[in-house]
Amino acid sequence: MRIKLSAFVLGVLVLVVLPFVLTDFRTVQLATVGAYFIAILGLDVLTGHSGQISLGHGAFMAVGAYTTAILMANHGVRDLWTIPIAAGVAGVIGLLAGVPALRLSGLYLALATFGIAVVLPTILKKFDHFTGGSTGITLFGKPAQTGHGVGVWGLTNNQWLYALTWTIGAVVFLIAWWLLDSRFGRSLRAIRDSDIAAVASGVNRAKYKVLAFGVSAAFAGVGGALFAINVAYVAPDTFPIQLSLYLLVGAVVGFFGSIWGAVLGALLIQFLPDVVGLIPHVDTKQAGPTTLFFGLVLVVLMLVLPIVLRAASRLANRSYFGAL
Amino acid sequence: MTRNLCAIAVAALLVAGIATASTTATPGVSATTITLGSSGPLTGEAAAAAGVLRGAEGYFKYVNARGGVNGRKIDFKYLDDAYDPSRTVQNVRQLIQQDNVFALFSVVGTNGNLAIRDYANAAGVPTVFSAAGATTFGRDYVKYPWTIGYLPPYGEEGELYAKHILATNGKKAKVAVLYQSDDYGKDLLAGFRRGLGAKARTSIVQTVGYDPTASDVQSQVAQLKASGANTLCIFAFGKFAIQAFQYANKLGWKPQIYINDVASASSIMQINPRSTAEGSISIVWGKDPATPKFKNDAGTALAAKIIKTYIPGANPSDGFLIAGMAEAFSMVDALKAAGKNLTRKSLMSAVTHMIEANIPFLVPGVTVHTTPTFRFPISAVQLQRWHNGHWELFGGAQSAKP
Repeated sequence: MRIKLSAFVLGVLVLVVLPFVLTDFRTVQLATVGAYFIAILGLDVLTGHSGQISLGHGAFMAVGAYTTAILMANHGVRDLWTIPIAAGVAGVIGLLAGVPALRLSGLYLALATFGIAVVLPTILKKFDHFTGGSTGITLFGKPAQTGHGVGVWGLTNNQWLYALTWTIGAVVFLIAWWLLDSRFGRSLRAIRDSDIAAVASGVNRAKYKVLAFGVSAAFAGVGGALFAINVAYVAPDTFPIQLSLYLLVGAVVGFFGSIWGAVLGALLIQFLPDVVGLIPHVDTKQAGPTTLFFGLVLVVLMLVLPIVLRAASRLANRSYFGAL
Repeated sequence: MTRNLCAIAVAALLVAGIATASTTATPGVSATTITLGSSGPLTGEAAAAAGVLRGAEGYFKYVNARGGVNGRKIDFKYLDDAYDPSRTVQNVRQLIQQDNVFALFSVVGTNGNLAIRDYANAAGVPTVFSAAGATTFGRDYVKYPWTIGYLPPYGEEGELYAKHILATNGKKAKVAVLYQSDDYGKDLLAGFRRGLGAKARTSIVQTVGYDPTASDVQSQVAQLKASGANTLCIFAFGKFAIQAFQYANKLGWKPQIYINDVASASSIMQINPRSTAEGSISIVWGKDPATPKFKNDAGTALAAKIIKTYIPGANPSDGFLIAGMAEAFSMVDALKAAGKNLTRKSLMSAVTHMIEANIPFLVPGVTVHTTPTFRFPISAVQLQRWHNGHWELFGGAQSAKP
């Protein structure tokens, strides 16, 4: 516990120092990383701890992002206050999705959630009076934008976005930590490890499984809301099925089941395309190479990285990185 | 304790690895280079439009090999957004904040340009000769002084088709419209309605939109055929245009077809059997190398030479490449006019005082002309008809002034 606390404090310190040594642009990229981080935390709760797989978390991010965008653009709600509302809306939809999910497991649940992610962009385009259709919604310079895209309290706009995202990221992380360390988390893990044994021990299986979906979707909603505030623009194609897949990969890479690895997964989603561009003789201006390398790297990482990192962490110290 | 120190060391290394710094007086302009940035669909459904960026890049390389502009070479950096406007936003943020581009040039797509213009204007970065034809890019210069488009406005294009219908088949035309349901397709449709005027209500029997990320337009075409129309307007893009022709043919429907400029490249129109596209009407402003009239033309020859030398592997009859070269030609002229002491202000002044009658890549009669209050660089076009497997121009240059 003491080591975990010091790891957390160290993480916070690094986060505070980073914007002072990075360029403004890298700072705002890390803000986007923060949004992915929060969404992956949600996936850690759901898939890592309750054992329910979701290939549709990009859709919950989209719900959060659109809640924020519509409230800001059409109703003039200040961006900060839209974040808890986005969490609420995405959470409720998550609870609703959790009910039919009770009857599905494994591959079937993966397919059902995959379906949600596939269908959502089309729904967003269908109701274009409400969502702006495929043109999307621009938030830049809107009166509801804190700092109006210029900056606030002596921070540049990018530093402000970074501070906002990672402050909320740290809070969400603490909530996840506390939740998973409590009765809630223990019940989820009991259900994941053995449905029957958990029920026999008096765990309300249905309640916890649905709750896990709700909490997880609410986290993703917060991530989506922050993504919308960061980019100051949302469109249906911002949340393609690939995003859901990347989130799952991000969760896997970040030692599945551990909220401590989520930041690794988030960094991967944001920076892997840049890294591919650094490989010599690869022309990223052609369609093939980028997509191919992205796929290859993801497959290799998914196969190798969790094994390597887990082995390394076991060797180093069982409790330092180990699953919560 | 050692472990914590290690962690700190790793963090510090990471930080050092990604930290970069740069400072210049006018961003993106040095004694030897001018850095321009862009974003477009290099991958995905709309990837054909990337030809605009590759053509422009080829022309810049050609100019660089001949000494560049006022002694500076043009460094043209473009990023992939897969036609997703939120990626256009992030690309443009990277180009401005990290790559320190002097100006944005030929950003592709109406939605992408709409998404970036608030930010680019707040940052005071010229967004010049965008590869998008929505009327707003030329019209709303008071609110967006740093933005200027290039293509003939879509609304005016739609009007021209309407006028051609009224002139040739005004009484009997029953029109069905297939359009892409975003600002691009809706702009064309709105202009088309405007052009028909009072006749719009009786002449247009059916309009059906499709989503730009849809997989095909088969059911839309069937729906349009069922309306009993004898005229079909295709306001589409790339593969959807090809599908529209194919499905109409498959259903045995032979309407008079009007197809919008962006979707009317010769490569798209080469559909089997040949009768499928025969007689279709479109507009054109860049010289299509596949059009017989331009076979021995000096501009087409120059384009072919540039493609061969600087854009290896590209299809020499790709009209998007020519469009990109025309944009790049105007850009080079503007950079020259902006002077040796290049600033973002002097560039904006140059692009709003353009008179170019000599662009080798444009069809005769089409010139580039702008003033600070008239920001539609290409405001004349030429009608053309598809006949025997290639386009034939007819009727002389037409005004497309809003």
